[in-house]
Amino acid sequence: MWWLRLPDNARFSSQSFSRMTLATATQTEKARDKAGVSPNGSRRSGPDTAFHLLVAASALLVLVVLGGLVVLMGVGGSQAFRTFGLGFAFHDVWNPVADLYGAWAPLFGTIVSTLIGVAIALPLAFGTAFWLTAMAPPRIAAIVGTAVQLLAAVPSIIFGMWGFFTIVPFMARTVQPFLTHHFKHVPGIRFIIHGAPFGTGLMTAGLVLAVMIAPFMTAVMRDVFAAMPNMLRESAYGLGATRWDVMWKVVVPWSRSGMIGAIVLGMGRALGETMAVTFVIGNVTAVGWSLFAPRSTVASLIALQFPESPAGSLRLSALLALGFILMLLSFASLALARMLRGDTK
Amino acid sequence: MTPGTMQGMIQDSMMTETDPQVAKSPEVALAVRNLNFYYGENHALHDISVDFPARRVTAMIGPSGCGKSTLLRVFNRMYDLYPGQRATGEVIFDGRNVLDRDLDLNILRARVGMVFQKPTPFPMSIYDNIAFGVRLHEKMNKADMDARVQDVLTRVALWNEVRDRLNAPASGLSGGQQQRLCIARSIATRPEVLLLDEPTSALDPISTARIEELLDELKEEFTIAIVTHNMQQAARCADQVAFFYMGRLIEVDSADRMFTNPKQQQTQDYITGRFG
Repeated sequence: MWWLRLPDNARFSSQSFSRMTLATATQTEKARDKAGVSPNGSRRSGPDTAFHLLVAASALLVLVVLGGLVVLMGVGGSQAFRTFGLGFAFHDVWNPVADLYGAWAPLFGTIVSTLIGVAIALPLAFGTAFWLTAMAPPRIAAIVGTAVQLLAAVPSIIFGMWGFFTIVPFMARTVQPFLTHHFKHVPGIRFIIHGAPFGTGLMTAGLVLAVMIAPFMTAVMRDVFAAMPNMLRESAYGLGATRWDVMWKVVVPWSRSGMIGAIVLGMGRALGETMAVTFVIGNVTAVGWSLFAPRSTVASLIALQFPESPAGSLRLSALLALGFILMLLSFASLALARMLRGDTK
Repeated sequence: MTPGTMQGMIQDSMMTETDPQVAKSPEVALAVRNLNFYYGENHALHDISVDFPARRVTAMIGPSGCGKSTLLRVFNRMYDLYPGQRATGEVIFDGRNVLDRDLDLNILRARVGMVFQKPTPFPMSIYDNIAFGVRLHEKMNKADMDARVQDVLTRVALWNEVRDRLNAPASGLSGGQQQRLCIARSIATRPEVLLLDEPTSALDPISTARIEELLDELKEEFTIAIVTHNMQQAARCADQVAFFYMGRLIEVDSADRMFTNPKQQQTQDYITGRFG
């Protein structure tokens, strides 16, 4: 997610940045004086120009890569879009035998599993981050903080295997039978828990995603909370506010944009997560509201079917079109975040 | 410590207050007795005993790191937020020891307000900045709240400047206005004591002057303890001045005597700018 600007505590970072540049400027001037080079000294211009070109080139490379990705996905998927029209995104049939493809089933799976993951991870991450910055004894905060970072560094395939061996059997043997037994006659809930107890499905994927993205979101939120001036926090406590008041009325509004950044970061990771989800989602291209029936996601479907799709086939084109839609989805979530932050730049 | 020596100390400190201005008001808002403060292993305040007369301004001066801000943060138990910081001794406020473990901190902090080095407006509207603290402790209807907001904003001379934009974010105010808003916010909960930790250090001279004028009016109702690095400010605003050095209280006296005729050589050196 290189394109996501991390939560900007702009006030602080830009201040310290300008202080830094000032300091550097003074140093450079001193160095110049020592070397006896004039401010426009020719001795500098050679390497300077090279450096200038080098950094500009690496920045331009970003645009080239982004454009390349969009073009590759768009051109590759154009055959599918031509065949099925824009309705490709909303057809719920994915049938390689009949060569009929629609993106809705995996798209639905991606969106719902991501939303479940974010919904579970958000309170976890928020609570952990708040506790770490505001309440935990320093030594324990250091230990837990490191553990959070380690957890964030665990490769997703590990989470996939863990989900497969732990969460899936747990869902199949405990959660699903429990829910079926108690709620199968409750109208509003029945359709969510409907299905045979395989243990795979959107809920399992959402849980595994939540465990994966929560450490990320925690780390980002922790930085956001830590950037809040102590004086502001103390001002609220100084009026006799409880921790609850301080959290909801001062910390949350103050760190709103940073928290949205954290959510989008987690969401972006969940949207594109492939391996962990493939292990636990069941990989059936069907659409339905049951959170406990096998489903698929865009990323898992692409990963599974890509090797079986011959070059030039409609199937491969459909998979690339899926990739194109996934990219649009990521961009949309970023745009939404910027809108929520009131950031129009 | 035996009760006898404690009694003796209180009498001693009363007897040193021979200045007519301070003597006129023998009522003591905060009585600090044998206060020691520790940041972990670091012993930051040594055996401090001093009285803060009610409805007077007491300025605390001394070089950076001398413990004056630390003392201020004891009065509302702000240090409690941070593990490893602890205090021993007594701070008697309204007949109770502030350091008591079972004291209700939220009530204490409503009665002992605090203003910081930099303006700290909350991320909400001007109106809500004031109402925030009030709502924590009192239930009142909209009309009463409106009246309270207008009252405190008038007293900090901010009402005319913000009456048309009470619902605008407080962050849009100038630094001086923000600091006056913070003072208004602190007095809105009707405290008895107001703690000011270098309240003008981030402000321009004009804003500073306005805050100083404000202190003069506020002291009719509140006991004010102000930490300042500015000797002139202490001389202008304070009735009583306490000089701290390296965690010890070196001298406490009326402002007049402190700045004209200090008893201790260290005080003399500090206020004449020879160190610090």
